[in-house]
Formats: sequence, structure tokens, C-alpha cells
Amino acid sequence: MSFPVSRGFSKLLATLAAIFCAASASADNSADTIVRPVTAAYTLEIGSSHLCDTYLTPLHYSGWATALGYERSQALKFAPATWTGVLDARLKAGRTLNPAHTAAMWDIDFHIAVSMLRRWQLPGAVSLAIGPCLEGRVGALSLMRNGNNPVSARAAITAGITARATWKTQLGRLPITMFTRPSMPLIGAFFSPDYDELYYEIWLGNRAGLVHCAWPGSYFHLDNLLGADLHFGATTLRIGYRLDLRSSKVADITTRTTAHTFVLGICSDWISLRSRATHTPDAAILQAY
Amino acid sequence: MYREYSPRVTDETNVVELFDICAEMLDELRDGHVNLVSPFATSYYKKWWSDYPQNFDSRLLDEYYLHFGGYTRGGFTYAILNDSIAYVRYPSFASTVSETTLDWMLLLLRDCPTMIFDIRDNGGGAISNVGTIVSRFITERIGGGYICHKSGPGHGDFSEPYAYYFDPADANRISWHKPIVLLTNRSTFSAANNFASVMKLLPQVTLIGDRTGGGAGMPFGSELTCGWAVRFSASPVYDAKMQLTEFGVDPHIFVDLDPEAALDGHDTMLDAALTYATQLAEEQSTLRTSSTQAAESTPVTPAR
Repeated sequence: MSFPVSRGFSKLLATLAAIFCAASASADNSADTIVRPVTAAYTLEIGSSHLCDTYLTPLHYSGWATALGYERSQALKFAPATWTGVLDARLKAGRTLNPAHTAAMWDIDFHIAVSMLRRWQLPGAVSLAIGPCLEGRVGALSLMRNGNNPVSARAAITAGITARATWKTQLGRLPITMFTRPSMPLIGAFFSPDYDELYYEIWLGNRAGLVHCAWPGSYFHLDNLLGADLHFGATTLRIGYRLDLRSSKVADITTRTTAHTFVLGICSDWISLRSRATHTPDAAILQAY
Repeated sequence: MYREYSPRVTDETNVVELFDICAEMLDELRDGHVNLVSPFATSYYKKWWSDYPQNFDSRLLDEYYLHFGGYTRGGFTYAILNDSIAYVRYPSFASTVSETTLDWMLLLLRDCPTMIFDIRDNGGGAISNVGTIVSRFITERIGGGYICHKSGPGHGDFSEPYAYYFDPADANRISWHKPIVLLTNRSTFSAANNFASVMKLLPQVTLIGDRTGGGAGMPFGSELTCGWAVRFSASPVYDAKMQLTEFGVDPHIFVDLDPEAALDGHDTMLDAALTYATQLAEEQSTLRTSSTQAAESTPVTPAR
């Protein structure tokens, strides 16, 4: 299937973006009776990667992957007790080898996502959150032994769903927050050349049929971070495991990418100190989670 | 193919023998763009040039025509032969053509009335260089050709041909719109073959030499399960008249290199090109003189 992004989808993206921007903008005029700290996490990921892209090769490649991540969470102004906004960005790189170890394939990928999650506090210090997510992704697989088709470029913009479940508990005297955060795109658009179409032909100007509709049947992506935040005073240590599973099938080109990575990071909460903000001593502090 | 080659692979076949069998099988495609690449060897089909006279001798050119001189820059070697004919040798499309190099080369050759552009033994390279060079020889947009690609795994799955065009170089660049003689031989292949097909459509260009080697398909790379790489043609390229040039481009004037004359220091193909280029120069000069005389003898009508 290959067709331009529909007008309805464009409207959906615009609406979600408007809601998120409005929520962020209203935060600037925040009432001083509520303090909404920003939770920022900086992570480093290291693990294994398994790649297949039939545009480049029918073989499966395996190797290592690493990533640098940034996550920013904050209770949203318009409903700070129940809604959280999350910005998530990650730059990933990986190097893999074919089964005979005669060629190497590089994987470079950058993605950025914004999401809004509706939270519910459940008994037993458990909370659940779920909401829409907008994601943009660019990247490329590179197999330099292919002279005229050494790269398989990737680009996608999608809207999907993301969720988060947390359980606050203690390990001895150490407070910890266990969590899982899956996300999955449901609809959008992604780039793919035709079956054996060279980028030279695209460079010559043939841009027809390069944008395809993304839905779970043509573009599947499951990203799940399973982790624990260990709260050491003002600083939090994040450890976890991420499963990043992607596949696409269009124009008889199949791509599959699986990465299992160990996540290590530091989180901290910070409060914006602006001259206009006059927090009262009894202001309520509403964390993102 | 399967019935012929499959029985030759047995449990006793070693890796080198398997490579040779596979290479022989790929030769059935009779395509110089098809390669099998293993850690110990690369196969390629040679008969597109090995069955024909080579028609080029680099030493002959360097010693008796360039006298081991000329300027070399950015893949081009250029000189002025017989005191008036611009000569440009371009042996490969492999490296990116520099616009600055083209400017300097055409500037230094600007006083010559004709040019010989020698692409004998040019095995191709980056096809994007074709447009860069052609843009210096045209005054308006021209059709470069058509390209299509495999659109699926089926035998006949090909996309609709896509027309592409070449535009003249920017006005601040130095161009050449005088006559050109393009020298070709059987080892003019791939991007060079494409260049010849485009140049042949220009009115000021005359092809002299032998038919080019072809190789009009753009190759695509993939792998075999044992880790060897395989390259094959997947994107047919047609010329602007929608003719497939896979089997070469014929010159306007066929000339071979005479091996006996070569012993005496004569490249008979280049000699023919020089003779033709000199005739063109003389014709141009005569035309210019006639038009000047005609302009001088025409009575001027006073304006009313």
C-alpha cells in the first residue's frame, strides 16, 4: 500500500500537537499553589542488536547496540493530578555482522516522542497511566559492501499509544520505583524505497511511492522499558532493560530490528525558578508519577 | 540452469570449486556488472571486452602524442595536440568530478576550435558524473534517458520508466559548445557507456572508434547465505530515445587501432579523430570567413 498521508491523519497529528503545546503553554502561567517538578532522566544503554533488511541483504546480522537517552516528565498544568507530559529522545547506534562474519552493518537511529498520559492511582502504591504519543524517527542501516545500495534509510512519523505502570516500594530502607513503559505506534507514515529502487533514481527526481501508510500490519514497533528507579536522596539511579522490536513490510521489503539493552541512568527532579513564580510554603508538589 | 549446475555441486566440492561453479553460472547472464565476491576472489564476466580488439594503448598515447606531458587533474588529462586540437582523456568515472577542475580545463583549452574527448578503456564509475560533464556541453535542458527498477520479486516486475534530464551548467561556469569528437572502444563500459549514449544525441558530437561495451543496467548488491556478496543489474537505463544501450553504443565512424601502425608510434584511432577534428576546424573557419565577408558586402539600409 502506498499513498500520501491522509488529511484526517494530518488533522489528528495537529490536534495532538495543539493539545500538548496548549498544556505546556499553560504551565508557564502556573498557579503558584501547585509545584510541578520536572523529572529528567539521562540514560546509557548497551546490549545486543539483531538486524534484517532485505533491501540490503536477506541475511540476519547480529552484534551490539548502544544508545544515549533523555526523558523529561512533568505533570501537566491543565490537570496536574491526573495528566503527565513526557518528552523522550534517544540516539542509538549499533554494529552487527553477518553469520559468516564477512561484512558489517551499521545501524544509526534517532527518535523523539512526546506523549500525554492519563494517570490512575491504584491501591498498593501502584499507578497506571496511558495516553497518546507522537513520534518522529530517522535513521539508516548501512552495508557498505553494496556499491549502489549501501544504505537503507528510515524515516517515520507516527501516532500511537504509550502506557506506564509503576509500583513504589522499598528495598530495605531504600525507596524504589519499579516501572514498565511500553509504547507502540498505531498509525502514521513511513519512508521506504521500492523493491530494488536505487537512491540514485530518487536523486534523479523519482519521488513517487516513497511514503507509505504505517499501521501495525505494515509498520510494527514495540518499545518497552522495564526498570527500577533507586532513590538515593536527591538523585535517582535508574537501571533497567529495554526491548526495542521493530518490523516493517512494504514493497516486498522486510525489515526487522530487535535490540535488547541494559539501561543505566541518572534521574533528578528540578523546579523551574522564574521571577514571576511565587510559590507559597504550602504549595502542593505534584510529581510526574 | 539448475539442471546444468546443480549436479556439479556435491559433498566433495570444496569452497574454491563452489566459487568457480557459481561464477561460471553467473557468467551465463553475460553481464559485466555481475560479480560474486568472496574473501579470496571476485568473479566477473569479461567477454564484453575480451572477445574484441583492445583498441587502446596507454603507452602509445603518453609517449607519441602527449610526450609524457599534458595536465592531469581530477581524473582528467588534457593537452593541446597539433597546436590546435583540444585533447581530453578521461579514463574513469570513479571519482567525483570537480566543477573547478572542469572550469580550469575548459579555460585552458578555450582557444581550440574542436575537442577530442577520449573515453577509451573507461570502465565507468559514478553515473552522477555524467550529468556534471554533459552540463558543460549543452545550452538547454536535454533528455538524459529513462531509468526503471525491479518493483518486486517476479521476473517481469519492473517500474514504469522514469525520464530524467540534464540541465546546462550555471552561467558562471565555463562551458564548451564547439565540436567534439568522442573516442570510444569496447572497454567503454557502464557510466562511460551511458555518457556516450547521451553525448551521441548532441548535434556537435561525433563518435569515432569502436562500439562501446554496454553495461546500461545499474547494479544492485546483495548477499548469499555463505557470506559472499553478489552484484547484479536491477535497474535498466535507456537512452533518451528509449533505446536500451545494454549491448553498447555504435560510433558514427568505425575505426580500429592498427597494431602494426602502433609499432611505429601511431594510434590510428586518435589519428582519425585528429584528422576529423582538423577538418571540422577548417570548415568552421571557412564558415566564419564566409559569414564575415557576407556581412561586409551586405549594403546597409539607412533607418527611416
